[in-house]
Amino acid sequence: MIEIRLHGRGGQGAVTASRIIAAAAFEDGRYSQAIPMYGTERRGAPLTAYVRIDNVRVRERELVHTPDYSICFDEFISMNQIIANSLKPGGVVLANTKFKAEELPLAGDIKIATVDATGIALKHLGRPITNTAILGAFAKICPEISMKGVEKAIYKYFPGRIGDMNIAAARASYEQVSELVPAINKEAPKEVVEIVSGGYGALKDVSGWRVFEPVVDEEKCIGCKNCWIYCPEAALEWTANNKPAMISRSCKGCGVCANECPVKAIEMKRVEVKKK
Amino acid sequence: MVDYEVMVGNKACAVACKLARVKVAAAFPITPQTSITEYLSELYASGEMPGFEFVNAEGELSAQIIVQAAARVGARSFTCTAGPGLQFMHHPMNDTASGRTPLVMAVVHRGLKSMQPDHSDLMDQSWLGWVHLYVENAQEILDTTIMGYKIGEDARVRLPVAVGYDGYVLSYTAEPVEIPPQDMIDNWLPPYKPPRSLFYDSPEAPIGRGGGDRGGGDPNMAWKIHHGAVEAAESVIKEVTADWAKLTGRSYGNGMIQEYKTEGAEVILTAMGTVAGSASAAVDKLWKDGKKVGLVKIRSFVPFPRKDFQELAGKYSAIGVFDRSIQPGMGGPSYREIKNSLFDTGSYPVVAGFVGGLSGKEVTVNDFVKLGEKTLEFAKAKKADAHPIWV
Repeated sequence: MIEIRLHGRGGQGAVTASRIIAAAAFEDGRYSQAIPMYGTERRGAPLTAYVRIDNVRVRERELVHTPDYSICFDEFISMNQIIANSLKPGGVVLANTKFKAEELPLAGDIKIATVDATGIALKHLGRPITNTAILGAFAKICPEISMKGVEKAIYKYFPGRIGDMNIAAARASYEQVSELVPAINKEAPKEVVEIVSGGYGALKDVSGWRVFEPVVDEEKCIGCKNCWIYCPEAALEWTANNKPAMISRSCKGCGVCANECPVKAIEMKRVEVKKK
Repeated sequence: MVDYEVMVGNKACAVACKLARVKVAAAFPITPQTSITEYLSELYASGEMPGFEFVNAEGELSAQIIVQAAARVGARSFTCTAGPGLQFMHHPMNDTASGRTPLVMAVVHRGLKSMQPDHSDLMDQSWLGWVHLYVENAQEILDTTIMGYKIGEDARVRLPVAVGYDGYVLSYTAEPVEIPPQDMIDNWLPPYKPPRSLFYDSPEAPIGRGGGDRGGGDPNMAWKIHHGAVEAAESVIKEVTADWAKLTGRSYGNGMIQEYKTEGAEVILTAMGTVAGSASAAVDKLWKDGKKVGLVKIRSFVPFPRKDFQELAGKYSAIGVFDRSIQPGMGGPSYREIKNSLFDTGSYPVVAGFVGGLSGKEVTVNDFVKLGEKTLEFAKAKKADAHPIWV
């Protein structure tokens, strides 16, 4: 039996990806199981999902605690040791990042492959939904599933034109994924960074959830407060000069403000992920 | 043609409704049940459920009354809920059973102290005289939902059937499911025919609440008839499960319980629902280490497999019972029922009452390995620790 752990955020399609992997394995003639770890999740919240692939019907119904593979759909989470923790010795991490595998600050007896799935998703789907954009890469590095199986499974979840777009994204990641490289640091750092902030935005720091963030053009802004009214996280404060400003810890980058602005004074700008 | 699909537990439930040609469903959304109704809507929208009516109820209480009324006039009916939603249904559920109204309700377990699963929600309803079946995986949801109609609509039973399965770890977990062909199910499960008369003077009439009419003025009579109907369900569950195995090749023990590697075992563990899957993997590990521990999965809680446990009693030196719920101050429900069943047999294996997995607490394969080893120790010592043994 092989076990896979998926790290993503609500909205990136990690749960759907887990089901596509399970369906792909089944298309290849194996048994499978995809378990999502749900709480009261919402768009942007970090979440995990798990997949098991076996030659017999999977009976175990617990979460995966020592995976063979770890796949990360999010550029920010990819910089965090949690995606490499508790893997089996020699386990494999596949991370969505612009960085090269040898540049990722991950440690342990693991091998790392990277692919710029966000870039691929934006190119092929026009949105940072990275699930299918990373599955092709996974089919390349994981001998347990085939690209053919992945394509068949994607069509089951996304028939027609949307399926074609997603398969194009998967094929691009199949081509672009890096070689597997052993992690440079063998010892994992002792400190664990808490990135799984549950609860609600007003109480928790969700700044790490953003793929895009709102930038206000104060010249264009007419001070109508539409953005402030519609912000689902109360993440905009009103400045002395009657203009909105992002409260960094509360904004999850959903883009509702930019969408509601009647004069298009808010631009959603891609957040650059930097190495620590 | 037999079809396969990798689907989540809640979809398996919706597909079973389609195959059973359910005519009326009513429900109110509550996590982790909601997606059953979404899948029903999808099936209806794609034209796969002609003649199906879904009633968007304003609450669970209304949902139960709607399906109860629909079933009374002959529509095969379905509802589904979870946790506190089930508690809100409690009152009309009583009349569904008393009125001898067969329907199937999926209870997607959500515990009473958190959103995560345990069996406290359905256990809470065990006085109402429904048939309560607990299932382990997505395939068993599909199979048992269809079987539920055959069991509940049988003239000897004519009762509503609750099919309980764990939220999240099963409702949202995707796994391969075999979908039987529609014509096969159509032949096996003919359209539902309600009794000719809904009035109390008919021999096949509902029991009603007072029951005075049918008991010659005896107020006990309604309960007596109801008790008899639930007891009669045992043999019907066994027949229908055997019949299903012939039809599909998939067998669930005798329907009441399902044994796994019990032959030659020294002791047995019992489990209900999803944890039985992990428990069976644990049993494999135990046998590999030379530890002879079998597993009995309890499928039917109401009626309770009393006779089965009476037969098992003499064969094993200890029974390690795992309950995923506890009635505060009273203990684990299946632990109590098993002990109760054994008293008259004259053979007294050691019975250990484990309680765990509450409010979604994970119960792992390794946990069950330990429970198996503990049960072997209890057998050796001829005495178990006091109930409950928290896991």
